[in-house]
Amino acid sequence: MAQVEFQNVVKSYGAFEAVKSVSFTVEDGEFVALVGPSGCGKTTTLNLVAGLLDLTSGDIKVSGKTISDLDPKDRDIAMVFQNYALYPNKTVQQNLAFPLKMRKVPKRDIGAKVAEAARLLEITHLLDRYPRELSGGQQQRVALGRALVRDPQVFLMDEPLSNLDAKLRVQMRSELKRFHQDLSATIIYVTHDQLEAMTMADKMAVMSGGVLQQYDAPERIFEEPANTFVAGFVGSPSMNLLPATAVERDGAVYATGDGWELVLAPRNAASARASSGPGIILGARHSSLGLHDTETPGCIQARVFTVEPTGDITFVHVDVGDSTFVISVDPERRIAADQTVWIEFDQNKLHVFDAQTEKRIAPG
Amino acid sequence: MSRRSYNAGWSLTGWVFLILLLIFAVAPMLWMLITSFKSQFAALKYPPEFIPSNPNLEQYERLLSPKNEVGRQFLRYMANSIWVSTATTILGVAVAVPAAYAFARFRFPGRQALFFSVLFRNMFPAVVFLMPLFIMMRWMGLVNTYSSLIITYLTFGLPLSIWLLKGFYDNIPIELEQAARIDGCTRFQAFYLIVMPLSAPGIIATAIYSFITAWNEYVYALTFLNDDQKLTLPVGLQRFFTEYATNWPGLMAASFIMSVPVVVMFLILQKYFVRALTEGAVKA
Repeated sequence: MAQVEFQNVVKSYGAFEAVKSVSFTVEDGEFVALVGPSGCGKTTTLNLVAGLLDLTSGDIKVSGKTISDLDPKDRDIAMVFQNYALYPNKTVQQNLAFPLKMRKVPKRDIGAKVAEAARLLEITHLLDRYPRELSGGQQQRVALGRALVRDPQVFLMDEPLSNLDAKLRVQMRSELKRFHQDLSATIIYVTHDQLEAMTMADKMAVMSGGVLQQYDAPERIFEEPANTFVAGFVGSPSMNLLPATAVERDGAVYATGDGWELVLAPRNAASARASSGPGIILGARHSSLGLHDTETPGCIQARVFTVEPTGDITFVHVDVGDSTFVISVDPERRIAADQTVWIEFDQNKLHVFDAQTEKRIAPG
Repeated sequence: MSRRSYNAGWSLTGWVFLILLLIFAVAPMLWMLITSFKSQFAALKYPPEFIPSNPNLEQYERLLSPKNEVGRQFLRYMANSIWVSTATTILGVAVAVPAAYAFARFRFPGRQALFFSVLFRNMFPAVVFLMPLFIMMRWMGLVNTYSSLIITYLTFGLPLSIWLLKGFYDNIPIELEQAARIDGCTRFQAFYLIVMPLSAPGIIATAIYSFITAWNEYVYALTFLNDDQKLTLPVGLQRFFTEYATNWPGLMAASFIMSVPVVVMFLILQKYFVRALTEGAVKA
């Protein structure tokens, strides 16, 4: 297994830059998820590692050696595709054997390795079947088997679970995680589903518009999002963002908006002061907000838009000025649409972003 | 009217239509076969004999035996036809496969224009090109050579072949090739080992189409060839058997022999042909 280094990786198509100077390092044995909305450059980045696309500039190194000039076949990587890309005219056995055959592995070793991979993925009984005779989950396993049979340095996975139904996806998610732990494989995994990334990855690389927004452990990304994009993308429902103006009065800092005002606690006041201008954006997760039915000091007034009970938890959508907040409350609470409520902020979990740069300002 | 009788009514109409179509298609073939078993005299009899009173294989024996003049000549034409058709087929497939693949997979300037210019030829009846092509062939000194026919048939067959195959390649997910390249193939191996077998029905259909077109072609063969020894079957038969008086049973037997390779080939490979037309090319 191996370490993968991205050094100022750029991929452009004419004037359009799909990947803009991306740099990060995937450590040996790490499971890294590349996440972002469609068109953010995550699949392009993966294809650059695979060698299916050529770098415009920058470098990609595997175990310290540059692979940018190598053909895909010489890179010692394996890839699992979204549509599995199983060879339809080959049996499962032949599909698994193909990468070994192409690498001129001796015949008796091929048999042994295929059998081992099949055993590991519990597809031994399917070896004589053709891909079209398999269910989605089985095809997924075969695709995984074809990747792991030749023991590559790096596994690349391009949305491998998105073609499965919801139940199977959850099951395969835990199996993939287990697979990573057992093999301590280096995996780069592309997904648009932040939940998938959160649950499986050691680290997440959040991309948007071809730019790497943040690269860190999932819990750190959740707790300390680098900017408003990451804050809004990671977590479900996404973080509530409220544009405001910071005003200093009587030694305290107030965040004010359309018809509301909030005194900032010292840690957040320091952040607001560090902003490049008076414009700030407050960020709060649904779980760090409280709802009161009556006027409460230190809270801001809002009106309920809708109430969404989900069973365990009820989400209340409230309008604050031009913004809509999603707040989770106990399902026992009775709240009606158009009701006036007061929102309480847990200031220890409040984030302050610079409205100009949209970057998070660390609490002082 | 109940649903059942409604369906039965349609089904009956369908059958009648099918039978009419079958008669239309098969009757001439059948008449050709019947006539080929008759004697010269019986063939001209009126009213005609639907079942030959004195069937014999005399014509077939004469045509297929190299011992007599007629047989030698016939087999000679047959060999000419096989040579021209086979060369057209092999060259046609060899050009159409990479061309179609390039149109399907690569993005290059003028791709769309080039693709339509390939199809452009098919907008005109073949006869329109007869004189221009003849003059061109004379310039190139190709009149009275097989090359003149092979080149002509290629340009006529290629548009449909490329179009048909492009449909096939469009339907093969590019991820298969990418997977193959990651699994250890060169670009060419990915094409050769993965894409080619998947497009086999299309290639076979293309080959049949090229072969049959070349095998049956008459007008160009009549114009470009004048050496008696070089004629292909369609022209040769016409010349040979109608020179003084038409030998109907002989002509019919020769025609029947000529249609055998086409029919056999089609019967063996028709499932690929049908698959090619439904799977590949129909996709918009």
